[in-house]
Amino acid sequence: MKIKFFLRVFFLCVVSALASPSYAQSGAGADPRSLIDALSKADFGEAEKLIGQLAATGDARLVPALNAFSEGDLYFRKSDNLVFIGKVSGSSYELTDPVTGASAGQAAKNAVTKIKINNSLRRVIRSAMGGLTLMSPDRGIRLQAADAVLRSPSAENLELLETAISKETDGEVKARMVEARAVSLLSSDRSIDEKRAAIATIKNYGGRNAIGILMGASASLDPSLKADVDAAIASIESGQRLWDIGQNVWYGVSLGSVLLLAAIGLAITFGVMGIINMAHGEMVMLGAYSTFVVQQVIRDSAPGLFDWSLAIALPVAFLVTGAVGLVIERGVIRFLYGRPLETLLATWGVSLILQQTIRSIFGPTNQEVGNPSWMSGSFPVGGMTITWNRMWIIAFSLSIFVALLVVMKKSSFGLNMRAVTQNRRMASSMGIKTPWVDAFTFALGSGIAGIAGVALSQIDNVSPNLGQSYIIDSFMVVVFGGVGNLWGTLVGALSLGVLNKFLEPSVGAVLGKILVLVLIILFIQKRPRGLFALKGRAVEA
Amino acid sequence: MISGFVFRALEGRIVTAVGIILAIGILVPALNLLTPADSALHIPTYVMSLFGKYLCYALLALALDLVWGYCGILSLGHGAFFALGGYAMGMYLMRQIGPRGVYGNPILPDFMVFLNYKELPWFWHGFDWFIFAMAMVIVVPGLLAFIFGWFAFRSRVNGVYLSIITQAMTYALLLAFFRNDMGFGGNNGLTDFKDILGFSVQADGTRAVLFFMSALMLSLCLILASAIVRSKFGKVLVGVRDAESRVRFLGFRVENIKLFTFVVSAMMAGIAGALFVPQVGIINPGEFAPANSIEVVVWTAVGGRGTLIGPIIGAILVNGGKSFFTGAFPEIWLFALGGLFIAVTLFLPKGIVGTIQHGFKARKALKAAADAEKGRGDATTVAQAQAAE
Amino acid sequence: MNMISETRQKSLLYLENVSVSFDGFKALNSLSFVVEPGELRAIIGPNGAGKTTMMDIITGKTRPDTGTVLFEDTIDLTKKDEADIAQLGIGRKFQKPTVFESHTVWDNLELALNRSRGVFATLFYTLSPEDKARIGEILETIRLTHRSQEYAANLSHGQKQWLEIGMLLAQEPKLLLVDEPVAGMTDAETAETAVLLKEIAKTRSVVVVEHDMGFIRELGVKVTCLAEGSVLAEGSIDFVSNDPKVIENYLGR
Repeated sequence: MKIKFFLRVFFLCVVSALASPSYAQSGAGADPRSLIDALSKADFGEAEKLIGQLAATGDARLVPALNAFSEGDLYFRKSDNLVFIGKVSGSSYELTDPVTGASAGQAAKNAVTKIKINNSLRRVIRSAMGGLTLMSPDRGIRLQAADAVLRSPSAENLELLETAISKETDGEVKARMVEARAVSLLSSDRSIDEKRAAIATIKNYGGRNAIGILMGASASLDPSLKADVDAAIASIESGQRLWDIGQNVWYGVSLGSVLLLAAIGLAITFGVMGIINMAHGEMVMLGAYSTFVVQQVIRDSAPGLFDWSLAIALPVAFLVTGAVGLVIERGVIRFLYGRPLETLLATWGVSLILQQTIRSIFGPTNQEVGNPSWMSGSFPVGGMTITWNRMWIIAFSLSIFVALLVVMKKSSFGLNMRAVTQNRRMASSMGIKTPWVDAFTFALGSGIAGIAGVALSQIDNVSPNLGQSYIIDSFMVVVFGGVGNLWGTLVGALSLGVLNKFLEPSVGAVLGKILVLVLIILFIQKRPRGLFALKGRAVEA
Repeated sequence: MISGFVFRALEGRIVTAVGIILAIGILVPALNLLTPADSALHIPTYVMSLFGKYLCYALLALALDLVWGYCGILSLGHGAFFALGGYAMGMYLMRQIGPRGVYGNPILPDFMVFLNYKELPWFWHGFDWFIFAMAMVIVVPGLLAFIFGWFAFRSRVNGVYLSIITQAMTYALLLAFFRNDMGFGGNNGLTDFKDILGFSVQADGTRAVLFFMSALMLSLCLILASAIVRSKFGKVLVGVRDAESRVRFLGFRVENIKLFTFVVSAMMAGIAGALFVPQVGIINPGEFAPANSIEVVVWTAVGGRGTLIGPIIGAILVNGGKSFFTGAFPEIWLFALGGLFIAVTLFLPKGIVGTIQHGFKARKALKAAADAEKGRGDATTVAQAQAAE
Repeated sequence: MNMISETRQKSLLYLENVSVSFDGFKALNSLSFVVEPGELRAIIGPNGAGKTTMMDIITGKTRPDTGTVLFEDTIDLTKKDEADIAQLGIGRKFQKPTVFESHTVWDNLELALNRSRGVFATLFYTLSPEDKARIGEILETIRLTHRSQEYAANLSHGQKQWLEIGMLLAQEPKLLLVDEPVAGMTDAETAETAVLLKEIAKTRSVVVVEHDMGFIRELGVKVTCLAEGSVLAEGSIDFVSNDPKVIENYLGR
């Protein structure tokens, strides 16, 4: 809240015109408290001067008082002519010291008088606030103030900025101020050479805003500067293009990691076991609902653990969906080995039942699954923005992938699993309990889908239909990447994600998706066994 | 040659089935039109439309059965052909509205006026002409099936992979038809129809004719399917299903066989869609939903794939059940449907008709074998028994 | 060079330097092999010697990486697919008997009959008296006349093998490739099969792949031994089975 308030103040300060910036420099050294108290007897003209002197103190504590003045919340006590910030509270005023911000008790309504304010004064106040914050002792506030000027530059801020720059010692803040000054300078009446230098500064700053600023300014600039502006825009654009590509790749990788999460369980059940599990999406959905239930329990019994809710939900979801998978394999699928089209139908039936079960228990509407604090927010990297939840999901899906790879290649269960896939009869005669390997492989695939559901609950609506939206995409990924190959699934998911995000800007999201589907359909014609296909006679048998 | 082709189709069971379907096609409209509303025999119009819908579904299931039951291609995209046929009919019906729309534009359908279309998109031209629209009902699904099949079968995409890409195909169409700028009414689809060939689509008489047409088209397609299945081509088809490589090494072009069947089947599905739309009064992109296509598979499976009558019975039974359940116990319907999928695949893989015929056929084959001992036997009866499988 | 061109003049099937590999595994390694018109040839070799892969290449199922495959001296088989090659007159029997189990024996043969195979030709096909006679003839040859109206699924393993051979006959091929025809047969069936194949070989070329040395001895024809994707030895059964390389690679094991 506090930050929002400050931002609004900065914004006001920069959009308004500064009537007379020179006030900022005059009358330095006076005591702020007495300057404010002097407002009680001042007329508008005197008040303007006083505000100038207040601004010149460079005391950022005065910002709330100035803001209150501009809002008409500044009062003086009739008994002693002392000035306070007043807030109505019942039939009296709650008084606050304008400098220290300390409470100063209450006053009856007739005991205080409002200090008069008009628009020209408000303007002066805003500029003064801008100056105060640019010269605030707090580094963070100065940085924010400079950013605010940058976002909406105005020639009136120029002298104020120059003063601030001359006093500034912090490198980053100074750089930001220099940029703000350059931007402001373009619309001022300074010399052409100064403007040329400013254009160069803006060019170095770069970014999409800079292009907008230069374009906006170019119309009013001297024609002799046009070449400079064009060159600067071109140079920024080429830099920005790289960042745009980067951002698209990032979005694509992020979408790809979601696809990977959704598809990786399928890569086991379909790719390794050859089971067409149409209920795979519902496993993801069950995982998401497990997260929801875990969060409900935590909210009710141990709210302090909320940030741990996902970590708790992971094993829960894995066990729940794994168990459901085990039941499905033992109850339905084991009778259908070697008849893939039949498993497709039966598992579709299972998916309908699971959907309706969840709908009957939780209702058809979306459930609210909260984001732990460490998953919200974002941070900038150069010209792009990276959100924490995407960041975590990418990291998460890659670690699941690696974990699965290790299980498959290193563990004895993985060895049994591969043995059964390659030669069932031989594996069986070696003493491997093939039915249980089948059951647990399917349970593993289902459990991983459940874990994926935990992650996807963070970025998608948790509803009974959640799984439906992933099933076709997941199959596309597995088929595209090549069946029976985890690396294929990884490459397939990431490349489909990136392809989707690169098509999106030019053709739109829906058409992009359609194009990707069509491309996959064409691709399968060319390579019926996917990107990383197994070759040889064994495959054909 | 042609007469032999048709004659072969009219094997006893098919004649009976066609007779029953046509009798229903005449009887139901008659009971609707000719009996007074309070009579015990009267069939209300909404019931007739409901049954008309079932007949369209039956035709769709028959179409799927031709590719799945006989050729082994499990298409999860037949709903797309059905919907395309429906859209072609819907476009004709939209053009018939003329200036009676809400906006009163004589050329542009309401949704186009609403979306600020300045003129009719090129692909809407000609649809005011019934014959053209009816041709498109067959041509558009057939063409899509041809293009899709030409690529898929040539590169030998088969089994599960084919199922998955047919599903992707209908999914892509679903997304496409949801877009407003495709020019097909976006997610609202086409509706508010007024006339068909000058007759009000709401009138009982029109409904009765539409019902009869559904029964007639179902009968004709059943005869066509029967003729195909019972020809040498049909035997090759079953060969492709059971031992594709053997067919290939015998010198048949499997891709052409599949392509022909797929296209014929898509056209049948298109006809079913075209008859469906005026009876339910709307066509929207929801018909492209992959779930719809999969549901068709279960109708076929319940009735008995690889039999011609099975899918018809399956479609009517399952949809009758759906109408009943969604009215009486809406919560239960998806459980019932899901359970049906599982039960049929586990316990009744041949479906209702297939299971009944299996016992019948086994007996007949035994008898034939005994006959054969005494000479070449009665080839035709046995061939029929086999072909009915 | 002169020698080769001479062999090529009269060969029915000609393979030269054919190589193919799957994921780095060389299934065929510059294999050269010639079948003359009217010849009955036996091929032996250990598992993985490339016998089935060679058949795959001849019938168009697999494309070789390098090498020449010619039929009747002029037709390049590497450019054709299975259906083309079958129509040219090369029939193939699989290792596992592959017949249409849900069709009758009669229908199996009717489908195999060498008639126009186009979509519309088959749609409007009606069985002519000549075709009936031909099917009857083949039924006699494969000793299945009495079971002609039974489903192929109900035949014994040996009868399925014969039915498949019968289907190949109906196809009227110039060259017949037979993969392990006597696997799983009783001794009596094996002997009968040998007679059957010799009968067939009177009118066309036959290549038999077989493990059963007794059966090959019974055939009494030229033998080619394959190992690791190329020809190890070629000649009469006695010559080949006395070759030290063959003994080491195959028989000795």
